[in-house]
Amino acid sequence: MLGLLETGSGFWSAIIWVVVVLVISSIVIYIRNKGEESYKKNTEQDKPFISGNPELSKEGSHIAASHIYWGFTEALKDYYNPLVKIHTGNINDYSGWIIIITIIILILVGVSG
Amino acid sequence: MTIEGLLIILLKIIGAVIIAFLGVILGLFYKGIDRKLAAKMQARVGPPIRQPFMDFFKLMIKENIVPENAVPWIFNGVPVMTLVATITILFYLPIGNISPLLSGYGDIVLIIYLLTLPAIGMVVGGFASGSPYANVGAQREMVMMMSYELPLVTTVIAIGWKLSQVYPQLNVFSLAVINAHPIWGLVGPLGFVGALLLLITLAIVTPGELSKIPFDVPEAETELAGGLLVEYSGRNLALFSLADAVKTIVMVSLTVALFFPYNIAHLFDLSGIFAIGIDSLFFLVKLLLIMFVEVTFIRVAAARLKIDQVSYAYWVPLSIIGLLGLSLIVLDTIMI
Repeated sequence: MLGLLETGSGFWSAIIWVVVVLVISSIVIYIRNKGEESYKKNTEQDKPFISGNPELSKEGSHIAASHIYWGFTEALKDYYNPLVKIHTGNINDYSGWIIIITIIILILVGVSG
Repeated sequence: MTIEGLLIILLKIIGAVIIAFLGVILGLFYKGIDRKLAAKMQARVGPPIRQPFMDFFKLMIKENIVPENAVPWIFNGVPVMTLVATITILFYLPIGNISPLLSGYGDIVLIIYLLTLPAIGMVVGGFASGSPYANVGAQREMVMMMSYELPLVTTVIAIGWKLSQVYPQLNVFSLAVINAHPIWGLVGPLGFVGALLLLITLAIVTPGELSKIPFDVPEAETELAGGLLVEYSGRNLALFSLADAVKTIVMVSLTVALFFPYNIAHLFDLSGIFAIGIDSLFFLVKLLLIMFVEVTFIRVAAARLKIDQVSYAYWVPLSIIGLLGLSLIVLDTIMI
């Protein structure tokens, strides 16, 4: 039925979805085109907003990607801090972890039959 | 493709245009009511209910500034994508006793995926703005998305699992099936408490999905000056305001479909067009009441959390509440 994909527990038709997306997109783009499109290029108007401060340099006003998950790692620091400590950089430690995890999995598989 | 297939597509397209139009009008109208109610609770007069309509038309005639640091095609394209993605979700949701327009063409798992599209759009738009404030806002939106997914999915999985136990022959993730079999009638006392916990979980996920207080950290006017929307203006911002209004209707409709799919036409022995009319009116009343609790009341009663508090709230207490709800429903089923 119109490209219906059934996974056994779920279903969706990508064709129908794409068709309605195209239809709604054309309406939305039509509405957007009815709006004002001009602005004063190369004036103060298109400078980035930094609370009235001048942009000293393009590079200097960027936010580093290392901050990206700050809120997430800060909220779950009780989980992440021990994990960071485990990452010693020593290949012997990593090999040890593989052996320990393999033993645990084998025991679980053995117990569950 | 057969003639019948083309006819079905044509009818779906006409239905889609009507629902999209009604969804936008209803979204803006309810946004006006939300603002009025919030104002009354804060002892203010508040704006008139038609204010969101006036804001939209005003934004459409304002200049549409594209900052010099922005990536123009992404910056301009994202508002369109966000609004379109939000509107398409409406087609998979039931309205009163009317089945979803695309019933049989997508299930609730698809809705959960589609719900991430507007949020991803906001993130991409924030990064494409080339502003530090928008950048921080976009990063926060990403962290929020990673945080509220687990409790949201837990709610859906719990209801789907319960339905699969009672009606193994049905497509349990179909919204039409979920809408026809309210969870409250399928569970015993333990499961009832579990369903109540899941309802609380969804009620707290909703303001997060909508970036409303206390989870409005990606926009945070007082610290980020609008965050990921800081550089948007004119018609681009107008489209974002429409997307916000429609997403409110989407999230509240999802709560109705999952937990309050009841209709009242049978109480008055009505059928046909009258039954559709009264059930649709009842649906609008349910939307209003649930929006008041999930959006208006929570945002007036609480202050904004910090981003790490938001992430913690979703990952730890709310995930535990959701999983507890799921466990109680499983326990209830095993014990029966």
